[in-house]
Amino acid sequence: MNKAQKAGAEIKAVEALAQGNSPVHRLSPLSKLAMTLAYIIVTVSFNKYDFSALIVMLLFPVIGYQLSLIPLRTCFYKLRIVLPLVCAVGIFNPFFDKEIMLRIGSLGISGGVISMLTLMMKGVFSLMMSFLLVATTPVDELCRGLRKIHFPKTLVSLLLLTFRYVSVMLDEVAVMTDAYHLRAPGQKGIRFSAWGTFLGQLVLRSSDRANEIYSAMLLRGFTGDFDYSPPKKYSRLSPLIALILISLFIAARLFNVISLFGRLK
Amino acid sequence: MHMADALLAPPVAAVMYAASATVAGVSIYKLKKEEKLGDEPTFKRLTTMAALVFAGQMINYTIPGTGSSGHLCGGMMLTALLGPWAGFLSMIVILAIQCLFFADGGLLALGANVWNMAFYGCFVGYFLIYRPIMQSKLLASKGNNAANRVKIILASVLGCIITLQLGAFSVVLETQLSGITELPFKAFVMLMQPIHLAIGLIEGLITSAVLIFVNETRPELIKDIKLGDGEKQKGSVKAVLLTLTAVVLIVGGGISLLASSNPDGLEWALFGNKDAGYAENMALDEENFGVESGASEKAEAIQEKTSFLPDYAFSFDAENPAGTTVSGIVGSAMVAGVAALVCLAGGFFRKKAKKAEESNK
Amino acid sequence: MIRFENVCVSYEKGDAPVLDSLSFEIKAGESVGLIGSNGAGKSTLLKAMTGLISHEGRITVCGLTLDKQNLAEIRRKTGYVMQNSDNQMFMPRVIDDMIFGPVNYGMSREDAVEAAGEALATLGAENLADKYNHKLSGGEKRLAAIATVLAMKPQIMLFDEPSSALDPKNRRNLIGIIKSLPETKIIATHDLDFVLDTCDRVILLSGGIIAADGKTDEILKDKALLESNNLELPLSLTQRG
Repeated sequence: MNKAQKAGAEIKAVEALAQGNSPVHRLSPLSKLAMTLAYIIVTVSFNKYDFSALIVMLLFPVIGYQLSLIPLRTCFYKLRIVLPLVCAVGIFNPFFDKEIMLRIGSLGISGGVISMLTLMMKGVFSLMMSFLLVATTPVDELCRGLRKIHFPKTLVSLLLLTFRYVSVMLDEVAVMTDAYHLRAPGQKGIRFSAWGTFLGQLVLRSSDRANEIYSAMLLRGFTGDFDYSPPKKYSRLSPLIALILISLFIAARLFNVISLFGRLK
Repeated sequence: MHMADALLAPPVAAVMYAASATVAGVSIYKLKKEEKLGDEPTFKRLTTMAALVFAGQMINYTIPGTGSSGHLCGGMMLTALLGPWAGFLSMIVILAIQCLFFADGGLLALGANVWNMAFYGCFVGYFLIYRPIMQSKLLASKGNNAANRVKIILASVLGCIITLQLGAFSVVLETQLSGITELPFKAFVMLMQPIHLAIGLIEGLITSAVLIFVNETRPELIKDIKLGDGEKQKGSVKAVLLTLTAVVLIVGGGISLLASSNPDGLEWALFGNKDAGYAENMALDEENFGVESGASEKAEAIQEKTSFLPDYAFSFDAENPAGTTVSGIVGSAMVAGVAALVCLAGGFFRKKAKKAEESNK
Repeated sequence: MIRFENVCVSYEKGDAPVLDSLSFEIKAGESVGLIGSNGAGKSTLLKAMTGLISHEGRITVCGLTLDKQNLAEIRRKTGYVMQNSDNQMFMPRVIDDMIFGPVNYGMSREDAVEAAGEALATLGAENLADKYNHKLSGGEKRLAAIATVLAMKPQIMLFDEPSSALDPKNRRNLIGIIKSLPETKIIATHDLDFVLDTCDRVILLSGGIIAADGKTDEILKDKALLESNNLELPLSLTQRG
């Protein structure tokens, strides 16, 4: 499989997950979006040394994944893109912040190490939650939700249509890359002399295609709106559940649950 | 260059969202106006081009002279093919899909990413670099073809390098303002800018190669290609200046507001300042959360009453931060244990459900 | 039903016309094969008829002259099945795509869903409704594309290369479906065997003009005529003869 095919497969896999039917899937898209955003905001707002208090936030996504039957490993596969950048930024902390903050036996742990770990945890947690959102919510349903809160029509329709065409384009790129490499064995990428023609051909082709698609839309009376159809039914309790969970996030932020836990011993 | 959620403090993220949203609003407005003037409908090309650039990012380009390969981001290319307004919207769409499906970037960081990667490329790159060069009478004596080639290369390479530099600098600025890294500002800048110089150069070369090909096969697809034609561009310059001013005001105002309320910088002032109420610090999200501003004080009072080891608890203040002692470690272990239990239980029920399904068949 | 009077189409001003003063008439209920080699102007004719490209001369569809005023009405009455189904289907699921047209033309959502169901039933493809467009096979895509057009209850059906990229079984299935549709049909293709099975009249286009117009049997058996227009006898006829 080449890169484009892998990307296509990844999208299709997420879409397949979103078709499930679990308590998490049945929550309305808007509630889930609000919850996810609240979770991320609360998570990243933890003090950079508050490693231990932050850990409690792990429980929310973990329970979410189990309830929705989404395998955790699909999410960890996605981490490969985000983690390197977060690590690159965090990796310097131990060198600049050497003050010892914590002692476990004779081992001293510096503030830099703690803040680095906290940063990584934040990265992982936020990703887990936002992936849970797309893995349990079909894109068109999310778009419908956005329209409900009067998100600009243009942007929503663009997102939806582009998303549909990404799979088609990925197929096309995949075929072209395969064709190229079959005739250019041993090359890692597209060589310099073909840079322009390779993607350029795609530009021409897709612009023709754009005309065709637009014609098809005109022929069926397109006036600028995408009427999404027929709506799915969502749990009526969604807003309430979202509210409760958001309060829980904030509570976890306000009270150091970890030390409370610790004191139960 | 995609920012991750973890690299941004919520207030910085919110400011970036506001800035990007403003520009998006103006873009939508401009596009609708252009359409009314009888220009090509947006939908017609925007969606396929955006999808194409997205897919085009999956192509590896061998960089001559090195063993490595690079790929395209596409901001400049989309602008050249669609114009700045549509280019900006299509970049938003691409970045949103990347963030949702490939975890490239993050939901909270989307506003910042749109700003860093789309705003500079689409507006600074287009109005200050690309269009002036393309419409100049540079090399007009050498004939259309040669002149166009030179101009395209110049415009794309310069455009990509400069806009990527701006983008990289914004990443540094946003990360620093969020108080994420201990890395001194200067060192961070020295780290980011040179890398993006190289990336910008390659991006520029790929972009120009594609644009030259398209220009020589189907010139009508590229905006502003006509040699020094000086099309009537009245009003648009004014609109751009107005937009730019508005955006600068919003970003500048937002950031200075944040900075002044926390004179010690943004060093996690959001929650770090114990004296100020929770909601005051969370000013931007008060409505969403509906948290009363006395909440944290009350919480603390409760905490102090119930806590046996008040010193260990509530480590908000930077002075005594880690707050992790034995109780912290034990607590963490317990959470990890609970998480593992949840996973185990989930796995167990899944297997059971699967078996039930199979036996039903 | 459809009348062309001296219709000319050229893509760029000053270019040689793609369609050169065409005149013909098609009656209600007729099934017409529009044949010709690649580039003869078949697709252009279909596009001109639905107002996707501008024309000179006069085109009348269902008694309405094709102009800006009547455009929407004419498009509602003609269902255009495109050559590439991928370009025709732009909504997430088949059912979304099917109700897109009817709802745009003012049908209520419930009625549109019902019309979509009927259209799928006509094609025997009820199972496609909830499927995702990008997951369909080539044959399913073609059926779904036809269904999206049928859901608008058109009076005229236009097919652009309907048999391309179909395997023999799907192709046979499609022939059966097209034969069973009562609407007026124009089928633009260079697959002459397909025309032989589905059409009773043939219009042969060549270089933008009508080279022949008549009964399917007569034209498709005329080896000399076909060969002078870069076409070959239908396979089934060569085997027989």
